[in-house]
Parts: sequence; structure tokens; C-alpha cells
Amino acid sequence: MKRIAIYLITGLLAGIALAAASATPQQIHITSEALTTAKSLGSSSAPVRIDEFSDFQCPACGNFYRNTLRLVIDNYVSTGKVYVVHHDFPLNMHAHSREAARWANAAAAVGLFEPVEQALFDKQDDWGVTGKIEPVIAEALSPAEMKKVQMVFQQDGAQLDAVVQADVALGQTKNIEQTPTIFVTSHGNTQPLPPGGVSYTLMKQYLDYLLAR
Amino acid sequence: MSKLRWWLILALRLFIGAIFVYAAYTKLRMPWMLFAMSVDSYQILPEWGVEIVARVLPWTELILGALLILGLVVRWAAVGSTALLTVFFSAIVRAYSLGLTINCGCFSTNEALNKVTILRDGSFLAASLILTILAFLARRRARQTA
Repeated sequence: MKRIAIYLITGLLAGIALAAASATPQQIHITSEALTTAKSLGSSSAPVRIDEFSDFQCPACGNFYRNTLRLVIDNYVSTGKVYVVHHDFPLNMHAHSREAARWANAAAAVGLFEPVEQALFDKQDDWGVTGKIEPVIAEALSPAEMKKVQMVFQQDGAQLDAVVQADVALGQTKNIEQTPTIFVTSHGNTQPLPPGGVSYTLMKQYLDYLLAR
Repeated sequence: MSKLRWWLILALRLFIGAIFVYAAYTKLRMPWMLFAMSVDSYQILPEWGVEIVARVLPWTELILGALLILGLVVRWAAVGSTALLTVFFSAIVRAYSLGLTINCGCFSTNEALNKVTILRDGSFLAASLILTILAFLARRRARQTA
């Protein structure tokens, strides 16, 4: 009787531990809608929404991310004023950008988009030349996190590519031809910004103007 | 002044004046920061210069356009429009030769800079130059016959 009780308790504890280990982060179902949400930062009820069509290998996108978007995230997204939605738009001229987008979406599927996005843009000059994307991402994540991302990348590659292609198709309906292309939506109106990225100074002034209305 | 020259000056005045008024309208109806973003994308001016141009240029275009349409101080308005269009054209050609894939910023934020915009703006410059020359010639002849 005592032995049965011990086995039962051990089994219960093991089950709880297993559930806890797989609880965070959960993998989401890989659909365009789900991954778009996973690649978004901030509150969807924020008064201003920024839709960014970006190519991870594009230097202008890297420049925009590092010098403008990061500051927008720190000063406006974190305070609930702006909601940023990332859309992939890999350009044909960049040999490794589709693979980078697939990695980013794999990371998004397990709730790790933000650190991977940062790693890809910060080390763009490296992997953009060598094509070695996986080590860059591995450096930004813990071994356990990297294992989860790798699993999604390897097992759901076709679905991830379909999600990227859905983003590209969306961009094509908006006549996007270059990156980064930014759309800012506020008070029901959507305004495209001049393509190629904008400085934080001007973006800040524009966001403050929209928020003050 | 011959009738033909008179009509030509009138047509050019109204054409270039309307272009400037329309250009001013497209810029003034949106927040100045959006036009500033277009100016900034040319990578010519520092931040403070971008803001000055973005705030002042649309009003300059409006005033020049109005003067040309109303036929006031035509010679100097034509000189102003030619000078402004020379600056625009130079900036556009420079951006194109550098391979900058940006928007023209001429009339809105959505117009790509390409060979068509260069050709178009070049024709505006040519028209303004012709107007300037004709306006000064007309003034000289008026003085001679007076």
C-alpha cells in the first residue's frame, strides 16, 4: 500500500514537472494570423499602429530598426501608445533574407520573436555575407530556447515559408517595392511614410502629433 | 509685344503657377513632418535644415504660384520659380544618380523617384526658364517702346 502511494505521488510530481516544462513558451499554431500577432509588439488597443514591411538582410531596414524602431519600442510601445506589427518582405536581391525570415517566424511561433529580430538586425553585416544565420540566433537564445526554435524551423518549414509568402502577398497589394516600408494608422487613417526608413527625430514628432490629436 | 508672345507668357504663368499652388496644397494638407521625411530621404540637409525646408518651402511655393497666376511681379516670380525648380531638379538628379530609391516628395509622399519624374520636373524647369526669359524680354521691349 505504501509502495503504491509512493509510485502514485512520484508519477503525479513527474506529470506536473512535465507540464510546467512545456508550459513556457508554448508553440502556437502556425498560421499567418497567429504569427503576425506573435511578431507584434505592444498593445493592439494602442492609439497608433505601425505596420512595418521589412527585409532582415536590407541595410536600410537594419538602420531603421537600430536607430528608430528600437527607440520607438522603448519610448512608445512600452508605454502603450504604439503597437508595432512586423511583416516580412524579403527582397529577391538578398540571398539569405527568406531564410532569416523563416528563422524569425520559427522564433515567433515559440514566443521568442523580439530577441531573434534584434540579433538578426544587430549582426546583419555578418550573416548577410556568410549566410550563417543559425549561430547568430543561437548566441541570442538559451540552449533550451534554441532547441525549441530549431524544432519548429525544421519540422514546420513549409508552413513558415507560407506565412512569409502571405506577408509578401500583402505587401504586394499595397504596391510595396522596397524596404523598409512603413504604414502608420491613427484615428482610422492609414498614412504610408516615405520608403527607406525615417529618422527617430521625425518619427517622434509625427507620433507625438498623432497622439496629441 | 506680339499677341503670340503675350498668350505664351500667360499660358506659362498659369501652368507653372498652378503647379506650384498644387504642390503647396499637397504639402500643407498633411503634417509638416511627413514632407520633412521626404526631404530627409534625399540625405542632403542636416536635421535642422530639413525642418526649416519642410516648414517654409510649401508657403514659398504657394506665394510664387499665386504671384504667377495673378500676374504680379511676374519677372521676379519667374526668377524665383526657376531658381526653386533648379534646386529641385538638381536634388532629384543627384538622388537618382546615387541610386537612392526614395519618393520624389514633389506632390505627395507616395510618388517614386524615377526617370519619369526626372523628365517631368525637367520640363517644368524648362518651361519656367522660358517664362523668365520671355518676361524679361517683354519688359525690355515695353521700355524701348515707351
